[in-house]
Amino acid sequence: MCGLAGVARRVPHGTDVPLEMLGRMAAALRHRGPDGSGHYSDGQVGLAHVRLSIIDVAGGAQPLGNEDDSVLIVYNGEVYNYLELAAELSAAGHRFRTRCDTEVLVHAYEQWGIGMLSRLNGQFAFAIYDRRSRTVFLARDRFGVRPLFVSVSNGTLFFASEVKALFASGEVDAALDPIGLDQVFTFWAARPPRTVFQNVQSLEPGTYAIWRDGELRHGRFYDLDYPEARNEAPSDLDTLDTLLGSSVALRLRSDVPVGGYLSGGLDSSITCALAARQSPFALRTFSVTFDDPQLDESAFQRVVADQLHSKHHIRAIGSADIAAVFPDVVRHAETPLVRTAPAPMYLLARLAREHDIKVVLTGEGSDELFLGYDLFKETALRLFCLRQPQSRIRPRLFDRLYPYLDAQARRGDFWRRAFLDAGPPDDPLFSHLPRFQLTSRIKEFYSADMKAALAGTDAMDELRASLPPAFAAWSPLNRAAYLEMVTLLSPYLLSSQGDRMSLAHGVEARYPFLDPRVYEYAARLPTTSKLRGGGLREKAILRRWTEARNIVPPAVQQRPKQPYRAPDIPAFFAPASPDYVADVLEGSNIARTGLFEPAAVQGLVRRCRSGAATGFRESQALVAILSTELWHRQFISEARLEPSTVEAGGA
Amino acid sequence: MNDTEILARTRAYVQETFLYMRPDFTLGDQDRLLARGVIDSMGVMELLAFLRTEFGVVVADEDITESNLGTLADIARYVTAHSNGNGKKPSS
Repeated sequence: MCGLAGVARRVPHGTDVPLEMLGRMAAALRHRGPDGSGHYSDGQVGLAHVRLSIIDVAGGAQPLGNEDDSVLIVYNGEVYNYLELAAELSAAGHRFRTRCDTEVLVHAYEQWGIGMLSRLNGQFAFAIYDRRSRTVFLARDRFGVRPLFVSVSNGTLFFASEVKALFASGEVDAALDPIGLDQVFTFWAARPPRTVFQNVQSLEPGTYAIWRDGELRHGRFYDLDYPEARNEAPSDLDTLDTLLGSSVALRLRSDVPVGGYLSGGLDSSITCALAARQSPFALRTFSVTFDDPQLDESAFQRVVADQLHSKHHIRAIGSADIAAVFPDVVRHAETPLVRTAPAPMYLLARLAREHDIKVVLTGEGSDELFLGYDLFKETALRLFCLRQPQSRIRPRLFDRLYPYLDAQARRGDFWRRAFLDAGPPDDPLFSHLPRFQLTSRIKEFYSADMKAALAGTDAMDELRASLPPAFAAWSPLNRAAYLEMVTLLSPYLLSSQGDRMSLAHGVEARYPFLDPRVYEYAARLPTTSKLRGGGLREKAILRRWTEARNIVPPAVQQRPKQPYRAPDIPAFFAPASPDYVADVLEGSNIARTGLFEPAAVQGLVRRCRSGAATGFRESQALVAILSTELWHRQFISEARLEPSTVEAGGA
Repeated sequence: MNDTEILARTRAYVQETFLYMRPDFTLGDQDRLLARGVIDSMGVMELLAFLRTEFGVVVADEDITESNLGTLADIARYVTAHSNGNGKKPSS
């Protein structure tokens, strides 16, 4: 895995794009690729690359060109079917100099142009500079595993794997986009193409962009779709077996050892189990455990690791660890956060790297594909109850939701009403209204200026207006699955908890459930194959398959979904909490940033300090405000320009 | 504790817990807490915990309804009826 950056002028200039600038951009990404770096520069385009060597360790330096270097690429990611594509391209007359998937992309571009994208099975973001047509072709994978940001400033295009590299150019100014921030406080992340920075866009997953003559034109090569079958096919279980086996096999292609994250839940147990079966060596597995027994899953992790005979490594995490790394977490995530959950992922990646593992398989994507989250059950129950509003029996099913919350409190009609009154079933965002509304309570802390900046905007309305035409024809649960993919999986889970945390330590995560063949298989299944038992049994077909093939231990097979959470308020208000907490939340500092009302924040701090604030609402507000203030300091008010990896005037 | 005191304590709790960041928000005793966005599903949980610790009132499942807990006045009425006058739950 790697990092890329580049600059493209509208037309060629007499002087090359400065290597010193490219070096600064590369330096900002060095954590993504500590194994090497490379640059290319001419009068129109400059490319920079930092490399994490995984395939063809000796031969894969970038930028990399075709036979005559008329086409150059900088690339971040993995295309898993590169061997098959290379064979096809060789048969068509292309000659390869390396064994690297990067070179396959160059020849694929020559052979198929934009049409290459639909042939790639992988997680990728790249920039291809075609010197013949003086174009730069940018693309990002279907689900947004790998990031790619762009900014057009003074008629010049800047692009990079992370926003900090754009700012490191010295040509892109860092400024807050209040609408992007408001999206974070609605959906947990800004929605691509928008980011929390003005004039910085994220390339949307499944899209490309072409820079030609000073204009950036966007196009889409992949649409999420849910062509749901009426009934399950007799062969569906076998198909799942074949697809997941193949997906894991492709993701084990690597010239360095591959490890696995193991949460103790069903999904990562599946990916680790399949990897262990196919690997000739003992798999290395990595887990975090929490002091708080409510959050800890170590017993299940041990059961799976024992069955797989993996070399299992554990990082025990306490509240103090979360607080200690949180500023670094925010710097890598490049966005305000509403949960501390990225912090343990940051520590987990560090653990893997300490054991010389730089590629890991993980289970993300399964909950979105096979309806694993409580949100899907909640949606099914709300629909079920609203179909017969007079029923006194149906709402009682709500008492079985969220079993990990305080059983004394999640009961009764009043609790149910909060879900049932959240909004009508014909609202396109029906499934997500309770979550969006709960998250939006952070906005109660906005300053008057922030409210004024957002006047006339509505994050939810904007989302409604952006939904694809096919959306209305999908079933309610597939609509929910789509919303989960585009609002949470891609911009938050794969980014703030995924790419940014693992690559902070030069660790590449691979996602077997996000193989496009697995996604398309799951999208075709009837929703009843995924959510059964009156809507209360999640990932049903996945459980049937693991049981039939004896993939994971029975205790894990039947285990209900456990949400992944991390300590929040206690992390920042323990007696030994770090000094930055009080400093960042101090009234005059809050006033200087100007985003939140100082008196309201002081009220929150007081309640956190006294132990009165214990609920989700105030936890998320604290994390949101603290991370926003840290983010603002790091990127806007106290930002510093990166030193370059290339000395001024050097080559 | 009389019902005026219970109402005052409950009002203070709701102000301190759910409305301290919204000083301009005025909440009447008859205003609906859910509909006005003062409490939500998670807020219901916090409210029940408050009634338990503050007044010793454990609200039975069938009583967790909007008619019992929907407004400040409803809550005060319910707590008054289910506590023994000193803010503690009557022994059974």
